Amino acid sequence: MIRFSNVTKAYSKDTVALERLNLEIDQGEFVFLVGASGSGKSTMVRLILKEMEPSAGAIFVNGTKLSSVPRRRIPQLRRGIGCVFQDFKLLPNKTAAENVAYAMEVTGQRRRVIKTKVPQIMDLVGLSSKMDKFPEMLSGGEQQRVSIARAFVSQPPILVADEPTGNLDPNTSVGIMQLLHRINRTGTTVVVATHDREMVDVMRKRVVALDEGRIVRDKVKGAYADEV
Amino acid sequence: MRFNLGFFLAEAFKNIRLNLLMSITAVTTTFICILVLGVGLLVSSHVEGIIGSVREDVSVEVFMPGRGEEEMAALEEKAGSWEEVASVDRVSEDEALASFKDTFEEQPDLYENLDSGVLPASLQIQLTDPDLANSVAGKLKAEGYDEENLSYPQQTIERLNSVTSYMIWGLYAATILFLIASVLLISNAIRLSIFARRKEIEVMKLVGATDGFVRTPFVFEGLIQGLLGAGLAALTVIWLNFLFVDWSRQELTFVPIDGDAVNTASVLVILVVVGVAIGVGGSFLSVTRFLRKI
Repeated sequence: MIRFSNVTKAYSKDTVALERLNLEIDQGEFVFLVGASGSGKSTMVRLILKEMEPSAGAIFVNGTKLSSVPRRRIPQLRRGIGCVFQDFKLLPNKTAAENVAYAMEVTGQRRRVIKTKVPQIMDLVGLSSKMDKFPEMLSGGEQQRVSIARAFVSQPPILVADEPTGNLDPNTSVGIMQLLHRINRTGTTVVVATHDREMVDVMRKRVVALDEGRIVRDKVKGAYADEV
Repeated sequence: MRFNLGFFLAEAFKNIRLNLLMSITAVTTTFICILVLGVGLLVSSHVEGIIGSVREDVSVEVFMPGRGEEEMAALEEKAGSWEEVASVDRVSEDEALASFKDTFEEQPDLYENLDSGVLPASLQIQLTDPDLANSVAGKLKAEGYDEENLSYPQQTIERLNSVTSYMIWGLYAATILFLIASVLLISNAIRLSIFARRKEIEVMKLVGATDGFVRTPFVFEGLIQGLLGAGLAALTVIWLNFLFVDWSRQELTFVPIDGDAVNTASVLVILVVVGVAIGVGGSFLSVTRFLRKI
């Protein structure tokens, strides 16, 4: 589903974010990318979204080599990857429901489809009573739910999340993780970059640990740190 | 992909409402620039109109100061025989003064102290075709009447041109400068509003919006702002024209200014098209440039 093949990403001569990294994520997997700040987690997420190009090596998403995707095809690529961020990245001038609908509007969905689909997904994330609220009127956890709803509304095969619980308290974080888990159970591949130790330990999913741009550990049903 | 006009228009109107101050700036800038362009168009149309109506003048006048009765009669007969000439009228000194008084009826101080004899007698030669004025003037010169004692359209046109050409060039230069300034101002206003919304645009791109999808509401916004600013400016120009024509009828009776010299419909169309082009072009270019950077 997602494959990093010998990927190196250097921002400058001295700052190397990823170094000859190899990783393969299968369809339907739930993978945590863990590591300290600057270990390269976010770089991996941004590379998957083709927000930037690797310095060397190749990345494959859904069997497509990203370097061969021309600039104008990037939107199509991104529609196949739902993304969730630490800072939610909601459109401030749109209500919760409109934010979710926007992701469908960009794909040219019919209004009728959008009208039935948006309430369903808002219900799934538990926000059917707050559809008409603007982001600033919602709590952090609620905003993150909206952003997950937006990422998932078109049912993309892949969902990537960069520190989705970074701005949230532990209780709220549990809810967000459960939501991601539910999405994963529908067959969506979920990749979560995080340094939320508690969450990783509770979920018992595959854990890929990064340190200075290299994979130092890759364990199925792992924990944040090495277990004694 | 379906083109959802309703969605894009709704987005554009919403953006205008949410960025009202910026929109007002853009509309005002367009308004001022198009107004200047419109005034330039007005002035040049009126000058063209005056030149046109002078050219339509089918008479050549020969002033005959100090020439005797016989000489006048001789020239009257001779000129009457030329084939370009339709008719010849003799205007005596008294008649010349009367017609002068008539023209400046409302400014009696101009003629109060004038006696008969100040204005020379003259021959009014009516031509069959205005284009023949120059050739008749040439024949009259050959008869010994010099340039100063002749009045024919070409002279007036030359005099008009020498005065108005500077004015028109100045106006064109001002219009061009203002157009450049307006394009810069408007694209700057749009760039600012895009910069204010750069986060939004980045998010749009992240959820898979194409460049076109992000750009279209901005282009509609530019279209609406251009239409509004240019439309208001065009109406103002038309109104100014009415005021000017009205005023000139009362104050500049001897200048042949005609409301018809300005084609209202085409002025409207030109101004609105230019305004809309600036709005649409400006927003298209600014958004495209911004999109290329992210």
